[in-house]
Amino acid sequence: MLDLADVRYAYPDGTVALDGVTLAVDGGAVVAVVGQNGSGKTTLAKHLNGLLRATSGRVVVDGLDAARYPVRTLAAHVGYVFQNPGHQLFARTVAQELAFGPRNLGVPPPEIDARVGEIVARLGLEPHLAAHPHRLPLPVRKLVSIGAVLTMRTPILVLDEPTTGQDHRTAVRIASLIRAAGAAGTTVVLVSHDMPLVAEVAGRVVVMDAGRIVADGSPRAVLGDATLTEATRIAPPQITQLAAALPGRSHRPAVLSVEELVAELRHVP
Amino acid sequence: MRATTGPAFAAERGSSWLHRLDPLVKLTWLLAVIVVAFATFDPVPLFGIALVGLAVAASAGIGWRVVRVLAIFIPITSSILVIQTIAPPICAGGGCVPVATLGPLELYQEGTIRGLSLVGRLVAVESVALAVILTTHPSDLFGALARLRVPYVANLMLSMTLQLIPILQREFEIVLSAQRARGMRGTGFRALLPSFVPVFAGAFQRVQQLTISLESRAFGATGARTSYRHIRSGTRERVAAIAGVVVGVVGVLAGLTIWSAEQSAGVVVPVQLVVGLFLLAATLFAGVLLAGIRSILRA
Amino acid sequence: MADAPIISITDLTVTYAGASEPALRGVDLEIRAGEAIGLVGLNEAGKTTLAMTINGVIPNLLPADVTGRIAVDGRDPTVTPVRDAARTVGMVFDTPEYQLSQASVAEEIALGLEGLALPSAEMPTRIDAALDAVGLAGFEERSPMALSGGQQQRVAIAAVLAMEPRILVMDEPTSNLDPAGTADVFAIARGLVRERGMTVIVAGHDVEALAGFADRIVVLDAGRVVHQGTPAEVFGAVDQLRDLGLRSPQVTELAHALAPAAGRLPVTVRDAVAWLGSRR
Repeated sequence: MLDLADVRYAYPDGTVALDGVTLAVDGGAVVAVVGQNGSGKTTLAKHLNGLLRATSGRVVVDGLDAARYPVRTLAAHVGYVFQNPGHQLFARTVAQELAFGPRNLGVPPPEIDARVGEIVARLGLEPHLAAHPHRLPLPVRKLVSIGAVLTMRTPILVLDEPTTGQDHRTAVRIASLIRAAGAAGTTVVLVSHDMPLVAEVAGRVVVMDAGRIVADGSPRAVLGDATLTEATRIAPPQITQLAAALPGRSHRPAVLSVEELVAELRHVP
Repeated sequence: MRATTGPAFAAERGSSWLHRLDPLVKLTWLLAVIVVAFATFDPVPLFGIALVGLAVAASAGIGWRVVRVLAIFIPITSSILVIQTIAPPICAGGGCVPVATLGPLELYQEGTIRGLSLVGRLVAVESVALAVILTTHPSDLFGALARLRVPYVANLMLSMTLQLIPILQREFEIVLSAQRARGMRGTGFRALLPSFVPVFAGAFQRVQQLTISLESRAFGATGARTSYRHIRSGTRERVAAIAGVVVGVVGVLAGLTIWSAEQSAGVVVPVQLVVGLFLLAATLFAGVLLAGIRSILRA
Repeated sequence: MADAPIISITDLTVTYAGASEPALRGVDLEIRAGEAIGLVGLNEAGKTTLAMTINGVIPNLLPADVTGRIAVDGRDPTVTPVRDAARTVGMVFDTPEYQLSQASVAEEIALGLEGLALPSAEMPTRIDAALDAVGLAGFEERSPMALSGGQQQRVAIAAVLAMEPRILVMDEPTSNLDPAGTADVFAIARGLVRERGMTVIVAGHDVEALAGFADRIVVLDAGRVVHQGTPAEVFGAVDQLRDLGLRSPQVTELAHALAPAAGRLPVTVRDAVAWLGSRR
């Protein structure tokens, strides 16, 4: 579904942001891309829908060579949710906002209405349908910005730091949206430094550092690798750190959730 | 974190005499140059001023930067020379005699002289203006304005506006890319309309947050403030500023007398110079046109 | 610690101009000098409103109807000009970039000093000290816009520290930072409390970091203070917080699941290791 071969990207002033990235993602996978600010994870994500064009190397998205198509064409294959909802929201009402994407993609109006209705129900946006997106509280704006991309029903979904600045209640909703997308067969690329979220929803974690992929594996393997997480300054969830600090657990696999460790500790005699 | 680069003509840090000079002195001299440049049509003093401007810029270490910006004006200056030489407006009533003929084109020396003076005026003002702009840090300028008792709020508004330009540019690009990422087509103005709301909403939020942050750091509109940046401003600077005003006045007088239009009417310019300048300007202009056409066809 | 609280808030109700509902309702809160306070709550719970009332931005810059009593270091911020309140209360916000406007780090820090009319000869010392406190020594001539988010936030903190306020209020300072940046900011905050005796209030969602930093946690819900106490007390009430849409640190949730009736629950990894060890 996604195929990046030795992708390099350098800014006009010469700074290298991606230094030879090779990555293959199967359809339906939920992949988290993690790393410090400046590691290249957002730069990588922007190559997936053509927002950035590789300086060298190949980017193939849903069978298309990304270099040969404009962003608006790739938009039918890759839905990109920007980190700041303020950058996306522009319509006069939430309903119009949700319809904008599918309308641009040429979806027939009855189908657009159906999709908007489904998203509104799923995200609980009924009370806000006629409201001006920019006047809504931040959590609602965030859900609207995600919903506005979900109505495009793209096979690939990219989310750039979806839970940053959000409270717990909203973060939980976003996590369940991601899980639902993955379950429905959408290929999800999640750029995030929210490690509990990553631990919860990702099936695969790619770690970036200084423009390169330095680790690629299951969340358990990556988050359990203390040397790796320290070197790349990603903080494993507190529960993972606790499990790693418990005496007599060094040979055991890393813990990803509170429930896991509770279950484990209840069974220890 | 991507760096925000400022506009090409933003002041860089420097430590030359010109960088450290009181902005008010620089502004006074710039004003004098502008006034003198418009007081005369004689190319000789105009190019003289331009040369002095370039020399001053060079002494401050920014000579090549000034030259690079001036190069942007080659299309305009060459077209002025070309058009003036073959069809000078001052010869409209008939009364000029062409000094040379190139195919269907008749070249007039009055046009060449007038063209040179217009170009000279442009270059004179530009070179001095650039020397001033590139060596004056906005904070120093605003400090100078504050000493002139310009209200602090006006000062702040000016500096905020200057900073917002590259910031808004960047925001616009981000917002446009967000729209395109949702399939938006077209590049016309109608396509840009959806982008205005988020850009201005973002700009408003940013300015509001910045204002609160500044106010929370004692950035009030009234009361005494001290200054971190050190700009010499004493008797020497006052004298220099007055000298600028004097030079300006003298220059205007000269423009009205020894450099006046009547004086330059009797000057004879060698034919070779007229033809040579014309060919040079025409080549430059044609070259720019071709390059422009090529890049349009390639896009 | 002094006996009289440095911040004293009684029955504070704040309604923004044009709003139909108050943003803060009858808030009672006392903060003593040198305390480290963590402020938690959902996004619209009133954390920012409370922060901005403490330094007088509300109502002096953002019009609002304020009733009740509030005293900060002996003065009423609602009638004190913000520029004067700035001597006592420094504020840091959630978006680093939105706080920076100068061409160099040194000038950014000097901005506040200019406003305090500090003699320019004294400025370099203060600037150096502030940069040292945030671990950015040597960054004087760097352009703030070219720094990383974490570095920018530290510059914003330094710009406020240079003014030597007694109280520092940080409104979601790590929301837009990566884990490295977040760790740096909280380390600085802890240092300010322990080494300088400053009163530091941090509002945010990172409950694990707040649990490690704060002496006391205050929970806001729909404009009201619904719970306050030590991190162990507040976060130990796991179910209560969950009902409010908030959460406790993961180790606390673990302890709660293993021993619902237990007394003091751990809130940090170290506490949890010890707690689990003592249960055997």
